[in-house]
Amino acid sequence: MSAAPEKAAYEPVFTGDRLKELEAIMARYPTKRAALLPALWMVQQARGWISEEAMVEVAEILDLTPAYVKGVVTFYTMYHQHPVGKHFIQVCTTTPCNLCGAEDVLAAFLKHTGCEELGATSPDGKYTVVEVECLGACGFATAVLIGDDFLENVTAEKVPEILKRYQ
Amino acid sequence: MPTVTVNGKRVNAPEGATILEAARLAGIEIPTLCWYPKLPVVGNCRICVVSVEGQPKLLPACATKVSDGMTIATESEEAVEARREVLRLLLERYPADHLRNGGRAQPRNEFERYVVQYGVEPTPVAERDLSLREGDERPGDPMIRHDMSLCILCTRCVRACEDIQVVGVLDVAYRGEHAQIIVGNDGDPDKAACTWCGECVRVCPTGAIFEVLPRERFGEHPVRSDRVVRSVCPYCGVGCQVDLHVRDNEVVRVTSPDILLDTPNQGSTCVKGRFGYDFVQHRDRLTRPLIRKGWVKREGRWVWEGPTGELRRSGPWRTIAGEGVELKPPAPPRATGKRLRDLPLLERVTQDIRDRAATPAEWYEPFREATWEEALDLVASELARIHRERGPGAMAVFQSAKCSNEENYLLQRLFRARFGTNNVDHCTRLCHSTSVSAMQAALNTAAASGSMREIEEACDVIFIAGANTTETHPVFGAAIKRAHKRGAFLIVADPRKIELARRADIHLQMQPGTDVALFNAMLNHILACGLENQEFIAKRTKNFEAVRRAVQPYTPERAEAITGVPAALIREAAERYARGPNTTTLWAMGLTQHLTGHDMVTALLNLILATGMIGRWGAAMMPVRGQNNVQGASDMGAIPFVYPDYQPVSDPKIREKFARVWGVDPESMSLEPGLKVTEMAREDSPIRALYIMGENPIISDPDIAHAEAWFATLEFLAVQDLFLTETARYADVVLPGASFAEKTGTYVNTERRIQIAHKAIEPPGEARADWEIIVDLSNRLGLPTPFKSPEEVMEEIRKVAPAWAGVTYRRLEGAGLQYPVPTEDHPGTPFLFADRFPTEDGKATFHPVEYSDPAELPDEEYPFVMNTGRQLYHWHTGTMTRRSRGLDAREPLAVVEIHPEDAEELGVTEGDPVRITSRRGTIVTSVRISDRVARRQVFVPFHFREAAANLLTSPVLEPHAKMAELKVCAVRIEKVPVEAAV
Ligand code: SF4
Ligand code: SF4
Ligand code: FES
Ligand code: FES
Repeated sequence: MSAAPEKAAYEPVFTGDRLKELEAIMARYPTKRAALLPALWMVQQARGWISEEAMVEVAEILDLTPAYVKGVVTFYTMYHQHPVGKHFIQVCTTTPCNLCGAEDVLAAFLKHTGCEELGATSPDGKYTVVEVECLGACGFATAVLIGDDFLENVTAEKVPEILKRYQ
Repeated sequence: MPTVTVNGKRVNAPEGATILEAARLAGIEIPTLCWYPKLPVVGNCRICVVSVEGQPKLLPACATKVSDGMTIATESEEAVEARREVLRLLLERYPADHLRNGGRAQPRNEFERYVVQYGVEPTPVAERDLSLREGDERPGDPMIRHDMSLCILCTRCVRACEDIQVVGVLDVAYRGEHAQIIVGNDGDPDKAACTWCGECVRVCPTGAIFEVLPRERFGEHPVRSDRVVRSVCPYCGVGCQVDLHVRDNEVVRVTSPDILLDTPNQGSTCVKGRFGYDFVQHRDRLTRPLIRKGWVKREGRWVWEGPTGELRRSGPWRTIAGEGVELKPPAPPRATGKRLRDLPLLERVTQDIRDRAATPAEWYEPFREATWEEALDLVASELARIHRERGPGAMAVFQSAKCSNEENYLLQRLFRARFGTNNVDHCTRLCHSTSVSAMQAALNTAAASGSMREIEEACDVIFIAGANTTETHPVFGAAIKRAHKRGAFLIVADPRKIELARRADIHLQMQPGTDVALFNAMLNHILACGLENQEFIAKRTKNFEAVRRAVQPYTPERAEAITGVPAALIREAAERYARGPNTTTLWAMGLTQHLTGHDMVTALLNLILATGMIGRWGAAMMPVRGQNNVQGASDMGAIPFVYPDYQPVSDPKIREKFARVWGVDPESMSLEPGLKVTEMAREDSPIRALYIMGENPIISDPDIAHAEAWFATLEFLAVQDLFLTETARYADVVLPGASFAEKTGTYVNTERRIQIAHKAIEPPGEARADWEIIVDLSNRLGLPTPFKSPEEVMEEIRKVAPAWAGVTYRRLEGAGLQYPVPTEDHPGTPFLFADRFPTEDGKATFHPVEYSDPAELPDEEYPFVMNTGRQLYHWHTGTMTRRSRGLDAREPLAVVEIHPEDAEELGVTEGDPVRITSRRGTIVTSVRISDRVARRQVFVPFHFREAAANLLTSPVLEPHAKMAELKVCAVRIEKVPVEAAV
């Protein structure tokens, strides 16, 4: 067996209050494994994305294997496996929104953030723009999620104004 | 019992059986892909669908239970069409162009066989929309690689790793068309704690996960072997049955036989069993007998005309001590990454390690090749001369826990009958000899009471003391992990935080060598709580009161002061242990290799007896035996004080019986117990002529520097081995023996199971089966030894060993027999002592024991405690495993495990050279930082000649069994500046 891998300068996510919070969540379920989704969510909130080291950390706390955690992380599209901008912008492009100009909204976000490409992070590190399926607000097309904020009736024209609020 | 009809046949299926099982009972095969014996059923591939009358939909046979009156059609038109569809869909991602030739395709694996069987025509790869599947590939791996374009996502590998091996390296990641098998979370099997067991290779139906060695030889094609021969793995005491695939007189692959067979391994093996077979074909194998230059035959007599004195046994090599202080080369870089293309340089698969670990060419220089006639003639005449001139007391033999029962039987027979000496011993001395002495004193037995299978089937609490089972007996270790997973409570007493300790419910991490205090305190607490089994104590034991008094002062608090284990933890462990209801107790070298080894085992036996945790299915006493045949060699009398089957040499009636069978005068055989291995190799030893079969004591015995010097002073030394070992280089004659694959013989595993290994290939060159060599030698020495085959030897063993009376070769086919097998119709004995112990009055005896300190405690000059032992990838002195490419690639270097904080204090990091010094010697080795060891403790594996741990260990002997204290010695550790040559 080779040496235990050195976790080079990795700062654990679950210390202090965050660890307490996770423990409280774990206490709600009959098995530790059940707390996996919230634990990953907490990692993402703290770090913006879920690194391989973080997967190992979560696996250790929950008595799972790192491979299992990775399986879950990669199954759900809402967990990020790469760093994303400070503001994560999700634009709905499913049919109703699409009919109401979602493609233009998307293009505007890409242009004004400087991201250029879907999924890429802007050079200033502030934004990442992605396309998502129906956000459940079809009556208020186009629907956009920025971080945890839900924006309705977004049009391409409103985009620069909106971005001013997310610096 | 539900009765069902399958394809018109009526079958009575057991309650809860699946359609698949019912069909198999009726002799009807249903194709399966995701289903595999012993794996949890997932029912995800749907190839096994069948029609059931009255059911609107097809049902998966593997996941549907039968109900009474079901009428099942396995090959209905619908079912077959559905199966074709499944195969068609799977083929869309599978490179199947070679299967596109109108029904004449050659299937290469299980999956392709179904494709051909059901006549499905794959789309050409070039015309498809979908790309081939991807996944982690284990690039650069010395033993296992992946070609994930072949993967059909049946997930057998994931479940085999998780549920059989309980490791969990593999999983499925991503979703939809991107779903794939991953290795750990970053593609690195090492970090994911892979043990290279190859269980995943075994279960994969497509060869997506494959072995490197056969692939190099046969390319993409399946291994085409001339024949497959059933054998027994030559490494540890689990005794895994293996199938050797032979082609052109070479073993080209090892697999494990049908999982449903009642074998000790049930289809699993560890990395050594599955991948460690290439030593057999290593070019270092001795192919002709060697005679030391200087021996010449003049006028029919052998005379030594070579140099005398110091030069008599010298050669152009450095002593082990000399090599020990040399600076070592750094470790070769390890390939990592997820895909082959991620590797910066596609490093060659066939990195040849042979020149590194091989026998140095100059070691052969003092020898010349000889004929068997010459070599055996020299051995016979010198042994006879020394016997004549110096008497039986000057003769000795080291037998081998690696050789078969028959061979061990023959060799002790030769020395006892022809030379009248009981100086017959083997490496059990440095292994379980203290267990044997303690068990004999308490129960008059010398073997485990139960079976490995009961741990998984019936045990509630597992108590493991000083046994690193997942590394030293990996297949048994996996069974323990499975038992723990299914709910058994696991208590581990070990100074190191080994894998099982990490998993354990309670880890008692005591100071090395303090076990007696720990066990006594556990018993103290059990008695204080009234948890002892009074009925058992009253009916089946004696002398309990003495132990009750003796453990009185060992309160958990006092034990805490000695062992460092918190009293509360000792209490909890004790209560769990006693409450059972079925507690199994395991132990190994962590107890036995101590100055107080006999006492430690005795204290443990007291615990077992006081709680009555023995003699039931699920409550076993299990000393875990190390070598593949250390149990058998002991059973065959390779011990100085007993004949085969533990019949004392000092009993004239027994001597009479053996003398009659062996055809010698009883008076010529000795009634005196002989010397033990550890008593022979010392300056004051009377031994002048020594015969060694398959042992390498120069590396394995304590205080090498002294041992090495002693070997050089012998008058005559003959060594029978596969390689020119460190010991053999001092020999007068070296006789080339045969490996396990090259001869037929029987071996006994740790649960008393006698198993047969068949000859698969011919020995290389002129090498001969070891039993043949001994038969020849015995006859030359005038001892009538008429055996023509190992089977004939077994016939004689049956006559003299009552516990083996019912053993015949025919009966050993299959799962073998667990002795005692007193008669030919006796089924063998899975567990012993259900109602009596094999003592005169049927009772076991308690023996009070007191704690005493290890011989060497750390002090200012030598502040660390050094522990020695084995690694997963190597075996003992490395003679075999260091000549196995895959194994050696995993652990190419000698290391010392040091706690991270100690390493920081010493100013060393991973891979740095350090000098370790004890009162006896010095070695230079490289640092491995690991929190498995506690602070101020270090662990040094003893496999490496170039940094031999036993240069440091102490030769002080345990008083009962003459065991050496290999587990504790005080050392000093210093950083070696990298440039500094020593
Ligand atoms: S070799 Fe064994 S431990 Fe490693 S991935 Fe395969 S099954 Fe798991
Ligand atoms: S690698 Fe083999 S065993 Fe594993 S899922 Fe793929 S086909 Fe099945
Ligand atoms: S389609 Fe955009 S929210 Fe439903
Ligand atoms: S074998 Fe039954 S569903 Fe796969």
